[in-house]
Amino acid sequence: MDCDKCGDEAVMHAAYSGLHLCDEHFRRTVETRVRRRVREDNLVPRSATPDDPETWVVGLSGGKDSVVLTQVLHDTFEEDPRVELVALSIHEGIEGYRDESLAACEELTTDLDIRHEVVSYAEEFGVQMDDVVEDDPEGMAACAYCGVFRRDVLERYAEELGADKLFTGHNLDDEAQTALMNLFEGDVQQMASHYGASLGPFPAEDRDGNPVDEPVDPTERTRRPQDHHVPRAKPLRDVPEKEVALYAHLEDLPAHITECPHAEEAYRGEIQGLLLGMEDKHPGTRHSVMAGYEKLAALAASAFGAAEPDEYGECDECGAPTGRAVCRKCDLLDALEAV
Amino acid sequence: MRVTVAVAGEDTREVEVEEGATYADLLDPLPYSTHEVSVLVDGRPVPEDAPVETEEVEVLRLVKGG
Repeated sequence: MDCDKCGDEAVMHAAYSGLHLCDEHFRRTVETRVRRRVREDNLVPRSATPDDPETWVVGLSGGKDSVVLTQVLHDTFEEDPRVELVALSIHEGIEGYRDESLAACEELTTDLDIRHEVVSYAEEFGVQMDDVVEDDPEGMAACAYCGVFRRDVLERYAEELGADKLFTGHNLDDEAQTALMNLFEGDVQQMASHYGASLGPFPAEDRDGNPVDEPVDPTERTRRPQDHHVPRAKPLRDVPEKEVALYAHLEDLPAHITECPHAEEAYRGEIQGLLLGMEDKHPGTRHSVMAGYEKLAALAASAFGAAEPDEYGECDECGAPTGRAVCRKCDLLDALEAV
Repeated sequence: MRVTVAVAGEDTREVEVEEGATYADLLDPLPYSTHEVSVLVDGRPVPEDAPVETEEVEVLRLVKGG
Protein backbone atom coordinates (compact mmCIF):
# COMPACT_ATOMS: atom_id res chain seq x y z
CA MET A 1 0.00 0.00 0.00
CA ASP A 2 1.28 3.43 -0.94
CA CYS A 3 1.29 6.71 0.96
CA ASP A 4 -1.51 8.98 -0.29
CA LYS A 5 0.84 11.97 -0.09
CA CYS A 6 3.98 10.72 -1.81
CA GLY A 7 3.61 7.15 -3.02
CA ASP A 8 6.21 5.67 -0.65
CA GLU A 9 5.32 2.55 1.27
CA ALA A 10 2.60 3.25 3.87
CA VAL A 11 3.14 2.37 7.54
CA MET A 12 -0.41 3.07 8.69
CA HIS A 13 -4.03 3.47 7.69
CA ALA A 14 -6.27 5.97 9.45
CA ALA A 15 -9.77 4.58 8.88
CA TYR A 16 -11.38 7.84 10.11
CA SER A 17 -9.74 9.85 7.32
CA GLY A 18 -9.26 7.06 4.80
CA LEU A 19 -5.58 8.02 4.45
CA HIS A 20 -2.62 5.70 4.09
CA LEU A 21 0.59 7.42 5.16
CA CYS A 22 4.30 6.64 4.97
CA ASP A 23 6.64 6.99 7.94
CA GLU A 24 7.54 10.58 7.16
CA HIS A 25 4.09 11.89 6.26
CA PHE A 26 2.53 10.13 9.23
CA ARG A 27 5.00 11.72 11.65
CA ARG A 28 4.45 15.08 10.02
CA THR A 29 0.67 14.86 10.54
CA VAL A 30 1.15 14.12 14.25
CA GLU A 31 3.34 17.20 14.62
CA THR A 32 0.92 19.29 12.58
CA ARG A 33 -2.03 18.29 14.76
CA VAL A 34 -0.18 19.22 17.97
CA ARG A 35 0.93 22.58 16.53
CA ARG A 36 -2.52 23.36 15.23
CA ARG A 37 -3.96 22.69 18.68
CA VAL A 38 -1.33 24.93 20.29
CA ARG A 39 -2.35 27.68 17.87
CA GLU A 40 -6.11 27.20 18.05
CA ASP A 41 -6.11 27.10 21.83
CA ASN A 42 -4.00 30.31 21.90
CA LEU A 43 -1.45 28.63 24.16
CA VAL A 44 1.28 31.18 23.39
CA PRO A 45 0.05 34.60 24.53
CA ARG A 46 1.30 37.85 23.00
CA SER A 47 2.68 38.79 26.39
CA ALA A 48 5.32 36.06 26.06
CA THR A 49 8.58 37.65 24.93
CA PRO A 50 12.21 36.52 24.85
CA ASP A 51 12.78 38.70 27.95
CA ASP A 52 9.70 37.43 29.72
CA PRO A 53 9.04 33.93 28.35
CA GLU A 54 6.21 31.57 29.25
CA THR A 55 7.18 28.61 31.40
CA TRP A 56 5.49 25.39 30.36
CA VAL A 57 5.76 22.54 32.82
CA VAL A 58 5.18 19.17 31.16
CA GLY A 59 4.05 16.25 33.30
CA LEU A 60 6.48 13.57 32.10
CA SER A 61 5.75 10.00 33.22
CA GLY A 62 8.01 8.26 30.74
CA GLY A 63 5.00 6.61 29.07
CA LYS A 64 4.52 7.09 25.33
CA ASP A 65 2.03 9.98 25.59
CA SER A 66 4.06 12.35 27.73
CA VAL A 67 7.29 11.39 25.95
CA VAL A 68 5.80 12.20 22.53
CA LEU A 69 4.29 15.44 23.85
CA THR A 70 7.62 16.55 25.33
CA GLN A 71 9.48 15.69 22.12
CA VAL A 72 7.04 17.52 19.81
CA LEU A 73 6.83 20.60 22.06
CA HIS A 74 10.61 20.66 22.25
CA ASP A 75 10.98 20.41 18.46
CA THR A 76 8.36 23.09 17.94
CA PHE A 77 9.71 25.62 20.44
CA GLU A 78 13.41 24.80 20.54
CA GLU A 79 14.25 27.94 18.55
CA ASP A 80 11.48 30.03 20.09
CA PRO A 81 12.74 32.13 23.02
CA ARG A 82 9.18 32.91 24.13
CA VAL A 83 8.65 29.45 25.59
CA GLU A 84 10.68 27.53 28.16
CA LEU A 85 9.97 23.87 28.83
CA VAL A 86 10.48 22.15 32.18
CA ALA A 87 9.73 18.44 32.65
CA LEU A 88 8.22 17.26 35.93
CA SER A 89 8.15 13.56 36.86
CA ILE A 90 6.60 11.81 39.82
CA HIS A 91 7.82 8.69 41.58
CA GLU A 92 4.74 7.12 43.16
CA GLY A 93 6.63 4.33 44.88
CA ILE A 94 5.71 1.49 42.53
CA GLU A 95 8.47 -1.09 42.61
CA GLY A 96 9.83 -2.20 39.25
CA TYR A 97 7.54 0.09 37.27
CA ARG A 98 8.37 3.69 37.92
CA ASP A 99 12.14 3.18 38.13
CA GLU A 100 12.20 2.07 34.50
CA SER A 101 9.96 4.81 33.23
CA LEU A 102 12.00 7.42 35.12
CA ALA A 103 15.05 6.11 33.30
CA ALA A 104 13.18 6.86 30.06
CA CYS A 105 12.46 10.39 31.34
CA GLU A 106 16.12 10.92 32.20
CA GLU A 107 17.21 9.74 28.77
CA LEU A 108 14.74 11.97 26.95
CA THR A 109 15.40 15.13 28.94
CA THR A 110 19.15 14.62 28.67
CA ASP A 111 18.86 14.14 24.89
CA LEU A 112 16.71 17.25 24.55
CA ASP A 113 18.61 19.25 27.16
CA ILE A 114 15.45 20.11 29.11
CA ARG A 115 15.38 20.87 32.82
CA HIS A 116 13.94 17.84 34.63
CA GLU A 117 12.55 17.70 38.18
CA VAL A 118 11.57 14.48 39.95
CA VAL A 119 9.27 14.46 42.97
CA SER A 120 8.32 11.39 45.01
CA TYR A 121 5.27 10.55 47.10
CA ALA A 122 7.73 9.17 49.66
CA GLU A 123 9.39 12.56 50.16
CA GLU A 124 6.21 14.59 49.77
CA PHE A 125 3.77 12.52 51.78
CA GLY A 126 5.80 9.74 53.41
CA VAL A 127 3.84 7.10 51.47
CA GLN A 128 4.53 4.65 48.64
CA MET A 129 1.74 3.52 46.32
CA ASP A 130 2.73 -0.12 46.83
CA ASP A 131 1.90 0.28 50.56
CA VAL A 132 -1.19 2.40 49.92
CA VAL A 133 -2.62 -0.43 47.80
CA GLU A 134 -1.97 -2.89 50.65
CA ASP A 135 -3.51 -0.71 53.38
CA ASP A 136 -6.38 0.73 51.31
CA PRO A 137 -8.20 2.40 54.23
CA GLU A 138 -10.94 3.87 52.02
CA GLY A 139 -11.69 0.72 50.01
CA MET A 140 -10.87 2.48 46.73
CA ALA A 141 -9.04 1.65 43.51
CA ALA A 142 -5.32 2.44 43.52
CA CYS A 143 -5.82 5.08 40.82
CA ALA A 144 -8.22 7.00 43.09
CA TYR A 145 -5.51 7.58 45.72
CA CYS A 146 -2.79 8.06 43.16
CA GLY A 147 -4.81 10.63 41.20
CA VAL A 148 -5.39 12.78 44.28
CA PHE A 149 -1.70 12.68 45.22
CA ARG A 150 -0.62 13.31 41.63
CA ARG A 151 -2.82 16.37 41.22
CA ASP A 152 -1.50 17.80 44.47
CA VAL A 153 2.14 17.31 43.48
CA LEU A 154 1.73 18.51 39.89
CA GLU A 155 -0.15 21.58 41.02
CA ARG A 156 2.28 22.57 43.77
CA TYR A 157 5.45 21.94 41.81
CA ALA A 158 4.10 23.55 38.65
CA GLU A 159 3.52 26.65 40.75
CA GLU A 160 6.92 26.40 42.39
CA LEU A 161 8.60 26.09 38.99
CA GLY A 162 6.82 29.26 37.88
CA ALA A 163 4.56 27.48 35.39
CA ASP A 164 2.24 29.59 33.27
CA LYS A 165 0.67 26.38 32.04
CA LEU A 166 0.79 22.73 32.98
CA PHE A 167 0.89 20.32 30.01
CA THR A 168 -0.24 16.71 30.09
CA GLY A 169 -0.09 14.04 27.40
CA HIS A 170 -3.78 13.12 27.20
CA ASN A 171 -4.55 11.66 23.78
CA LEU A 172 -7.81 11.46 21.81
CA ASP A 173 -8.81 8.13 23.36
CA ASP A 174 -8.24 9.44 26.92
CA GLU A 175 -10.35 12.53 26.31
CA ALA A 176 -13.14 10.74 24.43
CA GLN A 177 -13.35 8.24 27.31
CA THR A 178 -13.59 11.04 29.87
CA ALA A 179 -16.24 12.74 27.72
CA LEU A 180 -18.38 9.59 27.59
CA MET A 181 -17.87 8.90 31.29
CA ASN A 182 -19.16 12.37 32.15
CA LEU A 183 -22.06 11.91 29.75
CA PHE A 184 -23.01 8.43 31.03
CA GLU A 185 -22.74 9.62 34.61
CA GLY A 186 -24.92 12.60 33.70
CA ASP A 187 -22.38 14.92 35.27
CA VAL A 188 -22.97 18.23 33.51
CA GLN A 189 -21.17 20.20 36.23
CA GLN A 190 -18.11 18.05 35.61
CA MET A 191 -18.32 18.80 31.86
CA ALA A 192 -18.28 22.52 32.67
CA SER A 193 -15.25 22.07 34.94
CA HIS A 194 -13.48 19.93 32.34
CA TYR A 195 -13.98 22.73 29.80
CA GLY A 196 -12.83 25.48 32.13
CA ALA A 197 -9.81 23.56 33.42
CA SER A 198 -8.29 22.13 30.25
CA LEU A 199 -10.40 22.05 27.08
CA GLY A 200 -11.45 25.63 26.42
CA PRO A 201 -9.17 27.86 24.33
CA PHE A 202 -7.38 30.72 26.03
CA PRO A 203 -8.75 34.15 25.11
CA ALA A 204 -7.51 35.47 21.78
CA GLU A 205 -5.53 38.72 21.68
CA ASP A 206 -4.93 41.33 19.02
CA ARG A 207 -1.41 42.08 17.83
CA ASP A 208 -0.79 44.44 20.75
CA GLY A 209 -1.81 41.79 23.25
CA ASN A 210 -5.15 43.36 24.06
CA PRO A 211 -8.07 40.99 24.51
CA VAL A 212 -10.40 40.74 21.52
CA ASP A 213 -14.17 40.32 21.80
CA GLU A 214 -15.39 36.97 23.03
CA PRO A 215 -16.64 34.77 20.12
CA VAL A 216 -20.36 35.27 19.50
CA ASP A 217 -20.92 31.52 19.18
CA PRO A 218 -21.39 30.26 22.76
CA THR A 219 -19.90 26.87 21.83
CA GLU A 220 -16.59 28.68 21.17
CA ARG A 221 -16.42 30.19 24.63
CA THR A 222 -12.91 30.93 25.86
CA ARG A 223 -11.54 29.83 29.18
CA ARG A 224 -11.86 32.06 32.23
CA PRO A 225 -8.81 32.66 34.41
CA GLN A 226 -8.78 30.46 37.53
CA ASP A 227 -6.70 31.87 40.31
CA HIS A 228 -6.62 28.65 42.34
CA HIS A 229 -5.11 26.40 39.67
CA VAL A 230 -2.31 26.49 37.12
CA PRO A 231 -4.12 26.27 33.76
CA ARG A 232 -3.83 22.92 31.99
CA ALA A 233 -3.16 22.27 28.32
CA LYS A 234 -3.51 19.03 26.37
CA PRO A 235 -2.35 19.64 22.81
CA LEU A 236 -2.01 15.90 22.06
CA ARG A 237 -5.73 15.40 22.39
CA ASP A 238 -6.48 15.26 18.66
CA VAL A 239 -4.18 12.28 18.14
CA PRO A 240 -5.51 8.73 18.70
CA GLU A 241 -3.63 6.68 21.27
CA LYS A 242 -2.39 4.19 18.72
CA GLU A 243 -0.89 6.94 16.59
CA VAL A 244 0.90 8.40 19.61
CA ALA A 245 2.42 4.97 20.24
CA LEU A 246 3.30 4.56 16.56
CA TYR A 247 5.00 7.95 16.56
CA ALA A 248 7.07 6.96 19.60
CA HIS A 249 8.01 3.72 17.86
CA LEU A 250 8.97 5.34 14.54
CA GLU A 251 10.93 8.13 16.25
CA ASP A 252 12.59 5.52 18.45
CA LEU A 253 11.77 7.57 21.54
CA PRO A 254 12.71 6.21 24.97
CA ALA A 255 9.12 5.50 26.01
CA HIS A 256 8.33 2.94 28.68
CA ILE A 257 5.39 0.86 27.47
CA THR A 258 4.22 -1.23 30.40
CA GLU A 259 0.95 -0.97 32.23
CA CYS A 260 1.04 0.15 35.84
CA PRO A 261 0.71 -3.00 38.00
CA HIS A 262 -1.95 -1.32 40.13
CA ALA A 263 -4.05 -0.03 37.21
CA GLU A 264 -7.69 -0.99 37.70
CA GLU A 265 -9.95 1.66 36.29
CA ALA A 266 -12.74 -0.79 35.54
CA TYR A 267 -15.31 1.72 34.33
CA ARG A 268 -12.90 3.53 32.05
CA GLY A 269 -11.89 0.15 30.59
CA GLU A 270 -15.51 -0.65 29.77
CA ILE A 271 -15.95 2.72 28.09
CA GLN A 272 -12.77 2.20 26.11
CA GLY A 273 -14.04 -1.17 24.86
CA LEU A 274 -17.32 0.40 23.86
CA LEU A 275 -15.67 3.32 22.12
CA LEU A 276 -13.25 1.17 20.13
CA GLY A 277 -16.11 -1.13 19.10
CA MET A 278 -17.99 1.90 17.77
CA GLU A 279 -14.85 3.22 16.11
CA ASP A 280 -14.45 -0.08 14.21
CA LYS A 281 -18.00 0.06 12.89
CA HIS A 282 -18.12 3.84 12.45
CA PRO A 283 -14.64 5.26 11.90
CA GLY A 284 -14.38 8.81 13.23
CA THR A 285 -16.56 8.19 16.29
CA ARG A 286 -13.88 9.37 18.75
CA HIS A 287 -13.37 12.59 16.80
CA SER A 288 -17.08 13.34 16.58
CA VAL A 289 -17.67 12.48 20.24
CA MET A 290 -15.00 14.99 21.21
CA ALA A 291 -16.14 17.67 18.76
CA GLY A 292 -19.70 17.49 20.07
CA TYR A 293 -18.68 17.13 23.71
CA GLU A 294 -16.47 20.22 23.58
CA LYS A 295 -19.43 22.25 22.37
CA LEU A 296 -21.72 20.83 25.04
CA ALA A 297 -19.07 21.42 27.70
CA ALA A 298 -18.67 25.02 26.48
CA LEU A 299 -22.43 25.56 26.80
CA ALA A 300 -22.38 23.99 30.26
CA ALA A 301 -19.49 26.26 31.25
CA SER A 302 -21.44 29.29 29.98
CA ALA A 303 -24.56 28.22 31.85
CA PHE A 304 -22.71 27.61 35.10
CA GLY A 305 -20.34 30.52 34.53
CA ALA A 306 -22.44 33.17 36.25
CA ALA A 307 -23.08 30.88 39.21
CA GLU A 308 -19.45 30.06 39.68
CA PRO A 309 -18.24 32.22 42.55
CA ASP A 310 -14.81 31.37 43.78
CA GLU A 311 -15.66 29.16 46.70
CA TYR A 312 -12.11 27.98 46.98
CA GLY A 313 -10.47 28.39 50.34
CA GLU A 314 -7.35 26.92 51.85
CA CYS A 315 -7.03 23.48 53.39
CA ASP A 316 -6.84 23.75 57.21
CA GLU A 317 -4.00 21.21 57.26
CA CYS A 318 -1.77 21.94 54.26
CA GLY A 319 -2.99 25.26 52.84
CA ALA A 320 -3.70 23.82 49.39
CA PRO A 321 -6.60 25.38 47.48
CA THR A 322 -9.78 23.40 48.19
CA GLY A 323 -13.54 23.83 48.31
CA ARG A 324 -13.59 21.93 51.62
CA ALA A 325 -12.23 22.52 55.13
CA VAL A 326 -9.59 19.79 54.73
CA CYS A 327 -8.47 18.85 51.22
CA ARG A 328 -8.96 15.37 49.81
CA LYS A 329 -5.24 14.65 49.88
CA CYS A 330 -4.98 15.39 53.62
CA ASP A 331 -8.11 13.27 54.17
CA LEU A 332 -6.46 10.31 52.48
CA LEU A 333 -3.13 10.83 54.25
CA ASP A 334 -4.96 10.96 57.61
CA ALA A 335 -6.77 7.72 56.77
CA LEU A 336 -3.48 6.05 55.79
CA GLU A 337 -1.87 7.30 58.99
CA ALA A 338 -4.65 5.70 61.04
CA VAL A 339 -4.08 2.22 59.54
CA MET B 1 -2.44 -19.48 4.06
CA ARG B 2 -0.66 -19.96 7.36
CA VAL B 3 1.02 -17.01 9.09
CA THR B 4 3.16 -16.96 12.20
CA VAL B 5 1.92 -14.21 14.53
CA ALA B 6 4.28 -13.32 17.36
CA VAL B 7 2.92 -10.98 20.01
CA ALA B 8 5.93 -9.12 21.44
CA GLY B 9 6.52 -10.17 25.03
CA GLU B 10 3.79 -12.82 24.83
CA ASP B 11 3.11 -15.99 22.87
CA THR B 12 3.53 -16.91 19.22
CA ARG B 13 0.82 -18.66 17.27
CA GLU B 14 0.00 -19.87 13.79
CA VAL B 15 -3.01 -18.20 12.21
CA GLU B 16 -4.79 -19.62 9.18
CA VAL B 17 -6.33 -17.00 6.87
CA GLU B 18 -7.82 -16.93 3.39
CA GLU B 19 -5.78 -15.78 0.42
CA GLY B 20 -6.20 -11.98 0.16
CA ALA B 21 -6.78 -11.57 3.91
CA THR B 22 -5.60 -8.34 5.54
CA TYR B 23 -3.26 -7.83 8.49
CA ALA B 24 -6.32 -6.88 10.54
CA ASP B 25 -7.69 -10.38 9.86
CA LEU B 26 -4.59 -11.84 11.52
CA LEU B 27 -5.66 -10.11 14.75
CA ASP B 28 -9.10 -11.75 14.82
CA PRO B 29 -8.11 -14.68 17.06
CA LEU B 30 -6.18 -12.32 19.38
CA PRO B 31 -7.78 -10.39 22.24
CA TYR B 32 -6.61 -7.07 20.76
CA SER B 33 -8.27 -4.64 18.38
CA THR B 34 -6.40 -2.81 15.63
CA HIS B 35 -6.51 0.26 17.90
CA GLU B 36 -4.41 -1.41 20.56
CA VAL B 37 -1.61 -2.94 18.52
CA SER B 38 0.58 -2.37 15.49
CA VAL B 39 1.46 -5.14 13.07
CA LEU B 40 5.13 -5.20 12.06
CA VAL B 41 6.62 -6.93 9.04
CA ASP B 42 10.42 -7.13 9.23
CA GLY B 43 10.27 -4.58 12.01
CA ARG B 44 8.28 -2.10 9.93
CA PRO B 45 4.66 -1.16 10.72
CA VAL B 46 2.14 -1.98 7.98
CA PRO B 47 -1.39 -0.62 7.38
CA GLU B 48 -3.89 -3.09 8.86
CA ASP B 49 -6.09 -2.98 5.76
CA ALA B 50 -3.24 -4.11 3.48
CA PRO B 51 -3.30 -7.71 2.13
CA VAL B 52 -0.99 -10.13 3.93
CA GLU B 53 2.16 -10.65 1.89
CA THR B 54 4.37 -12.44 4.38
CA GLU B 55 4.49 -15.61 6.43
CA GLU B 56 5.58 -13.97 9.63
CA VAL B 57 4.43 -10.88 11.50
CA GLU B 58 5.15 -9.34 14.87
CA VAL B 59 2.36 -7.71 16.87
CA LEU B 60 3.36 -4.84 19.10
CA ARG B 61 1.06 -4.04 22.01
CA LEU B 62 0.57 -0.33 22.62
CA VAL B 63 -0.75 -0.48 26.18
CA LYS B 64 -1.32 2.40 28.54
CA GLY B 65 1.71 3.80 30.27
CA GLY B 66 0.44 6.55 32.56
